[in-house]
Amino acid sequence: MTDVQGVLPEIIVTLTAMLVLLGESILDRDEGGTWLPVLTATGLVAALVAGPFTMAPTPLFGGFLTVDTFTTFFRDLFIVLALVATAVSPSYLRRRGLPIGEYYALILFSTVGAMTIALASDLITLFLGLELMTIPIYVLAGMQRRDRASNEAALKYFLLGAFSSALLLYGFVWLYGVTGTTDFGGITAALRSAGPASGTTIVALALVTVGLGFKAAVVPFHQWTPDAYDGAPTPATAFMSVAPKAAAFAAILQVFGALAPLQADWTTALALLAVVTMTGGNVVAVAQRNVKRMLAYSSVAHTGYVLAAVAAFRAGDSAVAGVLFYLAAYGLMNLGAFACLLFLDTEGTRGATLTELSGLAKRHPLAGLLLAVFLVSLAGIPPTIGFVAKVFVLQPVLEAGLTWLAVAIALNAALAAFYYLRVVVHVYMYDAEEGAPRLVPSWLLQASLALTAVAVVALGIVPNALYAWALEAAAPLVR
Amino acid sequence: MILSWLVLIPILGLVPLLAVSRSERAVKIVAVAVTLVELAASLVVLASFQVGEAGFQLRESAEWLPSLGIRYELGVDGISVLFLPLTTLLTAISVLYSTKTIKTRVTEFMVAFLLLEVGMVGIFMALDLFLFYVFFELMLVPMYLIIGIWGGQRRIYATMKFVLFTLAGSLLMLVAIVAVYLASGDEGHRTLSLPALIAGRGRFSADFQFWVFLAFGLAFAIKLPMFPFHTWLPDAHVEAPTAGSIILAGILLKAGGYGFLRFALPLFPYGTQAWLPAIILLSVIGILYGAIVSTVQKDLKKLVAYSSVAHMGFVTLGIFVLNLQGAMGAVLQMLNHGIVTGALFLFVGIQYEKTHRRTIADLGGLANRWPLYTTFFMVFTLASLGLPGLNGFVGEFLVLLGTFAFNPPTGLGGFFWGPLAGIGVILAAVYLLWMFQRVMFGPLREAYQKLPDLTPLEVACALPLLVLTVALGVFPQPVIAIIEPSLARILALATDPGVTAAFR
Repeated sequence: MTDVQGVLPEIIVTLTAMLVLLGESILDRDEGGTWLPVLTATGLVAALVAGPFTMAPTPLFGGFLTVDTFTTFFRDLFIVLALVATAVSPSYLRRRGLPIGEYYALILFSTVGAMTIALASDLITLFLGLELMTIPIYVLAGMQRRDRASNEAALKYFLLGAFSSALLLYGFVWLYGVTGTTDFGGITAALRSAGPASGTTIVALALVTVGLGFKAAVVPFHQWTPDAYDGAPTPATAFMSVAPKAAAFAAILQVFGALAPLQADWTTALALLAVVTMTGGNVVAVAQRNVKRMLAYSSVAHTGYVLAAVAAFRAGDSAVAGVLFYLAAYGLMNLGAFACLLFLDTEGTRGATLTELSGLAKRHPLAGLLLAVFLVSLAGIPPTIGFVAKVFVLQPVLEAGLTWLAVAIALNAALAAFYYLRVVVHVYMYDAEEGAPRLVPSWLLQASLALTAVAVVALGIVPNALYAWALEAAAPLVR
Repeated sequence: MILSWLVLIPILGLVPLLAVSRSERAVKIVAVAVTLVELAASLVVLASFQVGEAGFQLRESAEWLPSLGIRYELGVDGISVLFLPLTTLLTAISVLYSTKTIKTRVTEFMVAFLLLEVGMVGIFMALDLFLFYVFFELMLVPMYLIIGIWGGQRRIYATMKFVLFTLAGSLLMLVAIVAVYLASGDEGHRTLSLPALIAGRGRFSADFQFWVFLAFGLAFAIKLPMFPFHTWLPDAHVEAPTAGSIILAGILLKAGGYGFLRFALPLFPYGTQAWLPAIILLSVIGILYGAIVSTVQKDLKKLVAYSSVAHMGFVTLGIFVLNLQGAMGAVLQMLNHGIVTGALFLFVGIQYEKTHRRTIADLGGLANRWPLYTTFFMVFTLASLGLPGLNGFVGEFLVLLGTFAFNPPTGLGGFFWGPLAGIGVILAAVYLLWMFQRVMFGPLREAYQKLPDLTPLEVACALPLLVLTVALGVFPQPVIAIIEPSLARILALATDPGVTAAFR
């Protein structure tokens, strides 16, 4: 009984996904458009409510799953992100004639996958979770079947994703070969008693780094990101830019946490990858005119900041808490920024260009304000959550003695401010041009984004509770 | 609570402001009223300040981020207490003047201005480094919008340059602040509260101070701005609307000088000693460079902007000669520059509103038509060039005195730097008087024959500044009495004998 009770939220979300699929075949298109999002949201809220009743002191299912504070933090984060994504999507799906039931079912299945990653206490469950999370995302990316960009995005994402999964799995196999176990605790113990890294452990470490690097879009394994983000329907992009990234980092934390005895070998490597990632993402983002692509590259840059906190793992609690807090902050603000593009009715899957955003603040003051809040937060300017998140990342990085990495983060943040504020320039300081896309402000979109924006500012002023929670969630990982 | 009210009043003022946002006229009235209430509150702070005490007064302290030992801590001492009324007065004047000149998106403008005011009063009261940083950055976005939306032709270029320069500096300062936090104690006992940090500054090694001072110094040097980080300033000033220029010159630049005095000097005495020669060199270069470049400006607003670079050179020079006269001069110079240059930007703005010309060669003879304008403008110009009897003189004179008394054990002393800075004062007379002559005297152009003199609103904006200019010039003693104890304490901290001995 306790085994099943421990995964109650996952069960609820899975059942909801199935019900949504059933509902799609029963309801006609209009009814489905109204009720399926409601059903999805209800299921997600139920899973959120069930969460606190699942804490288990001992591993479940024969040691394959663990429910601890780390799990619940990520679980709730994924559910909240899925909720926001659910709320901003309906009008877009209806306008574009996309299959509503499938869309929500895919988001739910992907969420279950992400939640499984947070549950995993074993390489096998972790891998299962990763696959379950990414496969629905491949489909989401290719959902607009008649759109060539969407097809290209899905294929590219799928091929590179499959390739990286294979690499990761191969890495796991090597790890198993070295340690003789797939259990995280067992791996840590085996590595600790084995002493300094040998050639085989280094191979395992390298393969795992590359495999997870693909999933999290670490430069130079980020090539799929801009095309996949650009080609996917915009509300799907909003979701896939945050939840899979947070899930990838949940996996990174789990795996590298298990590999903690090898810290001496991976700290510098991750720190270097972090610098390359944030710089690469930011430099390319500067050159983008299409805001969707710009945000795609900027999400690569944010991967770099989070990776910097992972590299500071030796600082202890504060490093893991920094990662968790940043992921939550990034989730809210990036989802918000992408979803703001839904105010505009642009053609195809293409997001708005800078010129199409010109004068948005005059045409629709709320949309302009919301976009500005999310962008200012992404730029890391107070009083927003993006700013405190940067502070919580800088602290462990400096504590771990990686001063050069902290300076790199600061300089990158200044560079990033340039392209974020350039969007604000267009929104607030230019007048709308002829042929600017029609505005489609649904009330649900406005309300959910306004709520998210309030959270972004409020958590920027009083981040206490969230940070305390992140610290608590970090504890199980720092053994 | 009075200090928290200073933070809260502009924020609470947003509620009635947004409630009446349908009527532009009502928005303007509410905005002016809010800034006047804020001005009154800052005068209450000044009145309840105990003159003669060196430490922080009216302190407020509350938990903010307990897991990081970060506190919401406010307080004022003799240095900061004077910047509060300056800030609120200049803001009230800017908003009042803008009721006439800002014609598009009035509500947004007033919202931006009130948020800007929160940041400005905040930096002068924050006693926690984190809180200071938050206020420091809070000033950024409203000013970015003010320049970018209501600015001149090249406003977008100017505002982006302004933001990126400031951000690059302040983000490095953020790294330094976190480093200070980590060095401030063992885990669980860390703090960013200024008094606690000063008490425990023995933990900061000389090497640590060297780098951290550099990071703080860069942020402040860019804000001030110090040569060679000044290049954002002429663009931002020229493109900003008049109210933006007044606040930029009057308050935002002071955040840099204030930051040096409040944080860099008392926390990092080794860093101060290590970087002092470089800063003095750059200050003197700034004084001379600013003056020379001002002389050749064709654009009136740009001339005033470059003169700020020269004037701010006096501020850093005065602070880093590390004696009481110099530092007193620096603080007075900051206050006086706020009043006088704020006023000069106001008058350049008024003049531009009437003639739609800023190129000096296109102007001339305005004195014939505008007796009132000429009188005001004359007084502020003379104050800016440091005429004895007006406030500009006091600060520059004390800085020069302090510079001559500067006598470091190694390197060039005050008798080298003093005369060089003195040349700057002479050059100021040259470019300002020449400007005044070209703009105000000579034949009046046909096009300007019908233009009216100052309106009552413009007089109301300028009069308080005129009174202060004369009063502080004739009788600076009360102000000096307020500043002196706190300043002496900061200098004592910065020139701890043990620290200076290490540099012999």
